[in-house]
Amino acid sequence: MSKVSRRKFLAGGLAGGAAVMLAPAEKVLAAGSFSGFPDGMGVLVDLTRCVGCRSCEAACNKEQQLPAPDLPFDDLSVFDQTFHQGTQKRRPTEKAYTVVNRYRPEELDKPVYRKIQCNHCNEPACLTSCFVNAYTKTKEGAVIYDSSVCVGCRNCMIACPFNVPAYSYSEVLSPVVKKCIFCYDSRVKHGQPPACVEICPAQALTFGKRKDLLKIARMRLKKSPDKYQQEIYGEKQVGGTGWLYIAETPFEELGFDTSLQQEPIIDNVKGFLGMVPMVLAIWPALFTGFHLLATKHKDHAHDDSRVEEEKR
Amino acid sequence: MFVASSWHLRGVLLILISLLLAVTSYAMDAPETIEIDALTQYYQRVEFNHQLHVEVAEDCSVCHHHTTGTGTTDPYCGKCHGQFEELDVVSCADCHSAEPFSAESIHRQSQQDLFHVDMNGLKGAYHQNCLGCHQEMDGPTGCQDCHARTELGDELYHSGKFAPKSTGQAASH
Amino acid sequence: MEKLFLGLPLDQYIGQLLRNKFNWLLGIIFAIGIPLIIYRFIFGLGSVTHSSYDYPWGLFLSFGLFCMVPLSASGFMLGTTVEIFGRHDFEPIERLALLNGLLGYLFAVVYLLVDLGQPWRLSYPMIYAWGPAAVLFLVGWHVAIYLSVQVAEVSTSFFEWIGWPNAKKFIRKGTIGLTVSGIILSTLHQGALGALFSYAPGKIHPLWYSAEFMWIHFFVSSIPGGLCMVIAVSTIVIKTMAWRCDDTFKDNLNQLTLKLAKGAAMGLITYLVIKLIAVAHDNEWMYLATGWGAWYLLEMLAGVVLPLILFAYGIRHKLVGVVRFGAFLTIAGIILNRLNTALVVFNWKLYQEVPHLYEVIISITIFAIYIALYRFILNRLPILYAWQAQPSEVIVTAAVPVPAREQEQEIPARA
Repeated sequence: MSKVSRRKFLAGGLAGGAAVMLAPAEKVLAAGSFSGFPDGMGVLVDLTRCVGCRSCEAACNKEQQLPAPDLPFDDLSVFDQTFHQGTQKRRPTEKAYTVVNRYRPEELDKPVYRKIQCNHCNEPACLTSCFVNAYTKTKEGAVIYDSSVCVGCRNCMIACPFNVPAYSYSEVLSPVVKKCIFCYDSRVKHGQPPACVEICPAQALTFGKRKDLLKIARMRLKKSPDKYQQEIYGEKQVGGTGWLYIAETPFEELGFDTSLQQEPIIDNVKGFLGMVPMVLAIWPALFTGFHLLATKHKDHAHDDSRVEEEKR
Repeated sequence: MFVASSWHLRGVLLILISLLLAVTSYAMDAPETIEIDALTQYYQRVEFNHQLHVEVAEDCSVCHHHTTGTGTTDPYCGKCHGQFEELDVVSCADCHSAEPFSAESIHRQSQQDLFHVDMNGLKGAYHQNCLGCHQEMDGPTGCQDCHARTELGDELYHSGKFAPKSTGQAASH
Repeated sequence: MEKLFLGLPLDQYIGQLLRNKFNWLLGIIFAIGIPLIIYRFIFGLGSVTHSSYDYPWGLFLSFGLFCMVPLSASGFMLGTTVEIFGRHDFEPIERLALLNGLLGYLFAVVYLLVDLGQPWRLSYPMIYAWGPAAVLFLVGWHVAIYLSVQVAEVSTSFFEWIGWPNAKKFIRKGTIGLTVSGIILSTLHQGALGALFSYAPGKIHPLWYSAEFMWIHFFVSSIPGGLCMVIAVSTIVIKTMAWRCDDTFKDNLNQLTLKLAKGAAMGLITYLVIKLIAVAHDNEWMYLATGWGAWYLLEMLAGVVLPLILFAYGIRHKLVGVVRFGAFLTIAGIILNRLNTALVVFNWKLYQEVPHLYEVIISITIFAIYIALYRFILNRLPILYAWQAQPSEVIVTAAVPVPAREQEQEIPARA
């Protein structure tokens, strides 16, 4: 075989491999994305209503049987707590699945309170990044977690765009991910609202089917255009979330990440995952082919002959 | 679960009270006080001084919307409820469900009833109405200014005698 | 037993161990670090890390996994070159590259075991809890399989050493299969490590993040990473344990270093181009004018462009020293890139987490164990030298002690 023809073969092989690699990747991307169960539940959080009473934190603590808090739930000094050189407000932890933070937007003469918890994404990044499938998106819309299979790689914490999952680092034998599970086992599964929604005095939290909540949210925005930003946070972010927020001031002033993509996080790795079967299928033939071409007429079986060959 | 059972009873009680009120009262001969006992697990009953609020409020419709014969101030509601017609029901709990997220209520959200889909539950209605006014008029706004907590309430909030022993700053992050 | 002690009597063996000052350094590290590792398993991760919810991956993974794996790409690179492309001129260094790959992966797994919350469940994704849609699932499987492949590849040296020629012949028959599966697994999991970060848009600074190209960046940079690691290790070996290298290795090393550098340079220039393409693709030029941009430029200039210049100059003028310096710089560049992605520019909108002191000490300790094991194997198995034919086996081992002692006595002077 001449050198030219060998090069041609190599080039052809590479081009062919590349072409085949691209085609299925596109297919995977085009394969429809999941936009949530039709009757999945959610919660509409109306930040104009929240009065910052922290009752939701108390109810969550009781319902989920979490450890006692460091400060009483009626102690409002927690709103002044900051972390990491004053850059960070409170966040959900292994001891608190939900926290309320206070913000003081310039254009308002009153503070705004924002409740944080798992947003129960339609296509959760935690779920799709988990290599033991510990997460489940239930048909009721809850994103729940099976701690009995968790290895503790914490990839879900990397993947969560809202920085929600916490990890019980202090546990020695059974550290697990701790996050809001939408009171799935005790309430939502039985058609009851989660504890935080039930206790909320101001009905800042409205429990319902996600699709109905979107309608209700749009109605409120339409009815009081001056009172609300004309946007529902969570409607489109990362493929849509079960928990939706409406507010009077721009969301970025209330600690929301407004730069999130609209596509589910899993879309970012679909290209790579689509390529995997192609590599598995093409590489063996391709490289065995290279080998046959490259070593033709050469003695390859160089067992112990290697030494002698080199000595010569 | 606690709420379900106790709220049912309270709801029935409230309806009875309000029926009584509806039959006997007109705008100006409303009861002097109303006992609100919808949250008696965590809070003690609230003695609501109705007479005081009647004097302070300009108009019954501020709280009672369109049910007391004074016509609604909300133009949105006024489209249908503009008429000055007094209704048999004037109590809050007659319209605002004590269980706004029961299966029944959730089902109602799905109905194409354009106007009442987003009606507040009883607790939401109270607090949105009361707190808004109280803030404007410098009324009491703290939770316990109106609601004295029960022992169960203190336990829930880890407050009072249930307060954490060491009140250090929240540790890990 | 004789082989284990390099043919020395026990007291002489221990004597030469104690004479070596480097062993004292290792001893100090182990004395502090190994109790800390035990401490970690008794008191949990929270006792040795900052137990951060925002930075779930600390130094154990950002250094141990994300740096060790690309620097261990040497196994499949040299395997491919020699076995697939039939470049037998690289043979003297092939075994070193294979061993480097095996040990790098092995210790990446060790780091992982220290970092996992419940390490005893490591086999779960293989056995009964499958999450096949996750990139990490692929990483787990591939690293596990590839580790076995590398054990098989390196086992030929081991079988020579313990004198099982038939086992070695059996493995050699499967060489092509092993090598090709090595290429497949490496392509995928080197890339997959990058794809893991595709899950975190918005958390990683845009200059380092690219949903589409993340995996290509990680894969391509692992090529110069692996090759330069072979140059670096061979440099250290020839300077500190030349007694163990046979003439074939010594005579060919300079020439091979230049050849490896050529490969590394090709990898680096490709890497540079695709890094720029990623910046252009997402139109992130404006970020270059910020502080993060300066940091990015430093990483690229010191870790990619400067080594490229050194390689070009060194290869052209056949200056092995310059090339070796370039290789060390490339390794530093790769490490900087991985640490940047996983720790420094991660959560760039939030705050900077600084690893716990214990975390740093444990990371150093594991690396010290890696070096100790590396040296232990190089001292014994026929990696740097070719095994002599079987009949003379007894004589060979007996012949070893003399140079061994000379060498071990020499080291203190250097260290």
